[in-house]
Amino acid sequence: MIASLLAIIGPLAALTLIVACRRTPAVFALGGALVVFGGAVGGLIDASAGGHASLAFAGMPDLPLRLQHDSLTAILSLTVATVALLVFVYAVGYMQAEPDKVRFFAEMSFFAAAMQGVVLAGDWILLLACWELIGLASYLLIGFWYERPLVPVAATRAFLTTRGADLGLYVAVFALVSTAGTSEVGQSVAANTGQFAIGMLLLLAAMGKSAQVPFHGWLQDAMLGPTPVSALLHSATLVAAGVILLIRSAPLFSAPMLTAVAAIGGLTILVTGVTALAQPDLKRMLAASTSSQLGFMLIGVGAGSPIAALVHLVAHAAMKAALFLGAGIFQHALDSTVFAELRGVGRAYPRVFILFALAGLALAGVPPLAGFWSKDPIEAATMESPLGAFLFPLALVGLLLTGAYVARALRLLWQGSAQRRPVPGMAWMLVGLAGVSLLATFLGPALVPTAQFVGGRLPTNVSSQLLGFGTAVLGLLAGWSGFTDRLAAPIASPAARGFRVGDGWIDVAVRPALALARAADRLDLSLYDTSVSAGRIGLGLATGPLARADALVERLVLAVGSDGLLLARASRRFDEVDLDGLIGQLVRATQLLGERVRRLQTGFVSRELLLAASGAAVILVLALAAR
Amino acid sequence: MPLLSLTVFVPLLGAVLLVLLRPSNARAAHRLGLAAACLSLLGAVGVGLRGVGPGFSQVEEIDWIPSLGSAYRVGVDGISLPLFLLTTVLFLVSLVFSTRVTDRTPAYVAFFLMLETTCLGAFVALDLVLFYVFFELTLVAMYFIIAGWGHEDRQRAALLFFLYTLLGSLPILLGIIALYLGADPHTFDMRQMVASPPLAGFAGALTFVAFLLGFGIKTPVFPLHTWLPAAHVEAPTAGSVVLAGVLLKLGTYGFVRFILQMTPEAFRAAAPWVATLASFSALYGAFVALAQTDLKRLVAYTSVNHMGYVVLAVAAAAATTEPRVRAVAIDGAVLQMVSHGVVTGALFLLVGALQDRAGTREMGAFGGLLRGMPLLGWAFIVAAFASLGLPGLAHFPAEFQIFLGTFGVWPLAAAITVIGILVTAGLYLRAIQITFLGEVGERWRALPDLGRADLWAVMPLLAMALMIGVAPGSLLNVIHRTASSLGP
Repeated sequence: MIASLLAIIGPLAALTLIVACRRTPAVFALGGALVVFGGAVGGLIDASAGGHASLAFAGMPDLPLRLQHDSLTAILSLTVATVALLVFVYAVGYMQAEPDKVRFFAEMSFFAAAMQGVVLAGDWILLLACWELIGLASYLLIGFWYERPLVPVAATRAFLTTRGADLGLYVAVFALVSTAGTSEVGQSVAANTGQFAIGMLLLLAAMGKSAQVPFHGWLQDAMLGPTPVSALLHSATLVAAGVILLIRSAPLFSAPMLTAVAAIGGLTILVTGVTALAQPDLKRMLAASTSSQLGFMLIGVGAGSPIAALVHLVAHAAMKAALFLGAGIFQHALDSTVFAELRGVGRAYPRVFILFALAGLALAGVPPLAGFWSKDPIEAATMESPLGAFLFPLALVGLLLTGAYVARALRLLWQGSAQRRPVPGMAWMLVGLAGVSLLATFLGPALVPTAQFVGGRLPTNVSSQLLGFGTAVLGLLAGWSGFTDRLAAPIASPAARGFRVGDGWIDVAVRPALALARAADRLDLSLYDTSVSAGRIGLGLATGPLARADALVERLVLAVGSDGLLLARASRRFDEVDLDGLIGQLVRATQLLGERVRRLQTGFVSRELLLAASGAAVILVLALAAR
Repeated sequence: MPLLSLTVFVPLLGAVLLVLLRPSNARAAHRLGLAAACLSLLGAVGVGLRGVGPGFSQVEEIDWIPSLGSAYRVGVDGISLPLFLLTTVLFLVSLVFSTRVTDRTPAYVAFFLMLETTCLGAFVALDLVLFYVFFELTLVAMYFIIAGWGHEDRQRAALLFFLYTLLGSLPILLGIIALYLGADPHTFDMRQMVASPPLAGFAGALTFVAFLLGFGIKTPVFPLHTWLPAAHVEAPTAGSVVLAGVLLKLGTYGFVRFILQMTPEAFRAAAPWVATLASFSALYGAFVALAQTDLKRLVAYTSVNHMGYVVLAVAAAAATTEPRVRAVAIDGAVLQMVSHGVVTGALFLLVGALQDRAGTREMGAFGGLLRGMPLLGWAFIVAAFASLGLPGLAHFPAEFQIFLGTFGVWPLAAAITVIGILVTAGLYLRAIQITFLGEVGERWRALPDLGRADLWAVMPLLAMALMIGVAPGSLLNVIHRTASSLGP
C-alpha cells in the first residue's frame, strides 16, 4: 500500500517543487518519475507476495475515497510508471530548445499523478475525479504550444469530446452508488450485475476516453501537442483508461452488453484501421492506429476475456510509445511529421529506424515480438466466444490492416533519401526510445505469467495463432508493396479525414449547441424587455424619473457623506432594545429621506424605501390585530 | 461574549465611524473598511471554531416583546455557518480589490460595510422580523452601490434590481405574517417554525407559493432572473462579487431555511414541479451563458446555472423520505452555495481586473492574453475550471452530491441536468480559447499583469477553491450535522 502511495505522491511532490522553484524542472520531474517507478515495483513485489489492501480516506460524509492495491492495480501501475519514466527521459532531450520547460514538466508530472490515481482508485468518486483530471492534463498538454494555429481548437475539442462522453460515467456512478449504497468499486459492481443501462453508460465514457468511433476525431487533432505527450498520454496511458474502466467493470456486463462492447471495438478497428492506412501524416497515422488497437482491447472484453485486453494494453503501451518516440526524433530531424517530407529519414538515422521498426513489427504481431503474444489471446478469445463467427474475422481484418499500415509507414520512411543533421538532445531521446522499444521486443514471454498473476486464464488456440500470423505477414507484404495504397486509393480522401461527417464535430455538436444557445439568448433578451416594460407600466414609471435617478443617487450619496448625523442617529437608536422604537425609527428615517427626496422632486426611490421599511411595520399591525 | 452579534455589527460600526469621521483621503477610508472587514472575518472564524451542535448553536437572545413572541435572536447551524463565513471572506476580498476606488471613497466603503452587516444578519437571524429587516436592508445598500459606482447604464439596472427584488420581498413578508398567525402560540421565533412547521393544507400551500416567488426572484430561478445579468453588467466589480457571492445565497438560503424547513408539506407536494423548473433553469442559464460574448455577462449567467442545481437538490430533499438521500442533497446544495461564492467571486474579480486594464470585456476583442499576463490568465483558467466542476476544485464535490441526491429521487432529472456540466465546460473553454489562447494582438502586448492588491483579493479565493475541492470534508461535516438531522 505504501508503495502504491509513493506512485501518487512522487509526481505530486515533483509538481510542487517545480512550481515552487521554477528551475531545473526536468530534474524534479525525473526524480518524481523514479519515485513512481520505485513505488510501482515495490507494489508489484508486494502484490506477488499476495498482498492486497484498500485504504479509505477523506472524501464526503459516508462516501470516503479509497485507494486499492491488488495484482491488477499493481500491473497497471507499473505499466504506467515504466512508460512515464522512459518518456520523461526522452522529453529531456525532446524539449531541450523549449523555453517553457517549467510548465511542460509540471503538467507532465501532474498527469503522472492523476493517471496513477485512475489506476489505483478503489472507489468510483476517486476514479471519476482522476478520470477528469487526466482530461485536464490532456487539455493543457495538447494546448502546450497555445500560440500556434489550430492548437487551441484541438485542445478544446479533446476536452469537450471526452467530457461529453464522461457524462456517461457520471450518471453510471450515480446509479452504482445509489443502488449499492457504497462507492467502493468491487461491491457496487457486484450489486449491479446485469444492469444494461449502467453498462452502456460506462461504455460511452470508455468510448470517449479511448477514442472509439464515433469519438475518434479528437485523438487525431491531439497530435498537435509535443510528441512526448502523444507518446505518454495519447497512446500508452490516458487513452487506455477507457479500457481499464471496462476491465474493472466487466463483471457487470450481461451478454447483450458484451455484444455492444465488441461491436464498438470491431467498428473502430475497421474505421480507424483504414484511416491509418490513408494518413499522409506519421503522427496522425499512429493516432488512428491507437484507436484501432484500443478497439482490439474492446473486442477482447466483448469476447469475454478482459485478461486478454489487459495483456494487449500492457504490450501496446510499450509498442506505441516506442513508435511515437521514434516519430518524435524524425520530427525534430526534419521539422515535419508529414510522410512526404520524411522520405528516407530512416536511412539517415538507422539506429532510430531499427528501434522504430522493431516496435512496428511488434505491433503488427510478428513473433517473437510482444504484439504476437498479446494479440493471440484476443484472437483466441474471439474464436471461443459465442460471437466468434462475427468477431474472429473482424480481428483478422484488424491484423491485416495493422500489418499494412505499419509496413506502409516503414516503406515511406525508408525509401528516398534525407539529409542527416545533428539533432539536439539526441542522447536522451535515444535512451528513452531504446527503453520502450526493447520492452516492445522482449516483453512477450512475460505476458502469460502476467495474466496468471492477475488471476485469469489467457485463451490460446493454435489455429487462431497460425491464421493470425499468416494474416499479419500478408498485411505487411501488402503494405510494403504498396498494394493496399492502390486498393485504398478511391477512399483515401475520406479515410485520411477519419471518415468524419461534414465538418466533423463542428457540424455535429458545436453548431447545434451554439444555435440553441443563441435561441436561448434571444428569448432571454425578450424576457428582459418584457420585465422592464412591465415594470414601467406597473409602476407608472415614465422615462423622466428614470433619467433623473442618477442625480438623485448622486445627492443621496452626498447626503450620506455630509449628513452623517442621520446615519449615526439611526444606528445609535438601533441599539436601543425596543421594537416599537426600532420600527418608528425606521419609518422616521425613511420619512426623513423621503423629505429630502421630495424636495428633489423625484419621489420614486423614496416611495420604495418607505414601502420597504413599512413592510416591517405591517407585520406588527397585523400581528397585533390577530391577537 | 456575544461573538455572533459582534461579528454582525462590527462592519456597521465601521460604517458609522466612516460617516462620523469623514476621512478626507481615500486610503484612510479604505484602511478603516479593511480593518472592520478583517475583524468581522476573525469573529466569523471564532464562531466557526466554536462550532455547531445539533439544532441551532451559539444562540444570542434579547427579549423585546415577549407577548408578541418577537425578540432579537441570532444563532447558527450547519446551513448558516458556512454562508456566514463565506460572507465575511467575500466582503474582505471585495474591499481589498476595491482599494483602487478613489471616487467618494468613504461613502463607497460605508455602503459595503452596511451591506455586510445586513447580509450577516440575514443569515444568522432566528427571528422572522429580524430576518425580514436585514433581508430588506441588503437591497437598499446594494441599490446605492450599483447606482453610485456602476457602469454606464447603471440607473436602469439598479432600478430594475431594486424593484424586482423588492417585489420579491413582499410575498416573503406575507409568508412571514402567515407563519406568525399559524403558529400557536403566535411567535416570530424561527426555531419553532423549523421544529414544528405551523401551516398545513391550503394556508401552507399559499405560504409556500409566496416564499417560492420571493426567494425564486432572489436566487434567481427562470423566468424571474432577468434582473441579474443587467445588475451584474452595470455593477462595479466588487459589487458583482457580493451580489453573486452573497446576495444570491440569501435566495437559496431561503429555499432551505424557509421553504424546505417551514413549509415542508406543500414543498413535498410541489417538489416535482420545482425540480422541473430548477432543472430547466440550470440548463437555460448554461445555454444563454454559452451565447454571451461579454465575459461578465457570461459569468453572470452561469450563476443562473449553478443556482439551478442548488434548487434542484433542495427540491429532491423535499421530495424524498429517505434521510440518507436528503442529507446528500442538502450537503451538496449548501456546499454549492459556498463554492459558487468563492469561485464566481474570483471570476468577477478577474474579469473586473481585465476590464480595468483593457477597457472592454468583449472576448472577441481579445486573443492570446496568456502570454503577456500569465497571472491573470492562469488564475482565470483555474477559476473557470473550478466553475465547470473539475474535480479537485470547489464545485465538484458539491455538484456530485447534488446530482447523487437528485438521482436518488428522480434519476431522469439528474441524468438530464448533468448535461449542464458539459455546456459550462464548453462555454468556459470557448472563453479561454478566444480570450487567452492564440497569438497576442499588437493592441494588448503592453497590458500589465495582476498587481498586488489584485493578487491579495484573488489568490485567497483560488486557494479556498482548491481546499474545498481537495478536502471538502471539514466543511461538509459542519453542513452534514444539520443536513442529516433534517426531519422528513
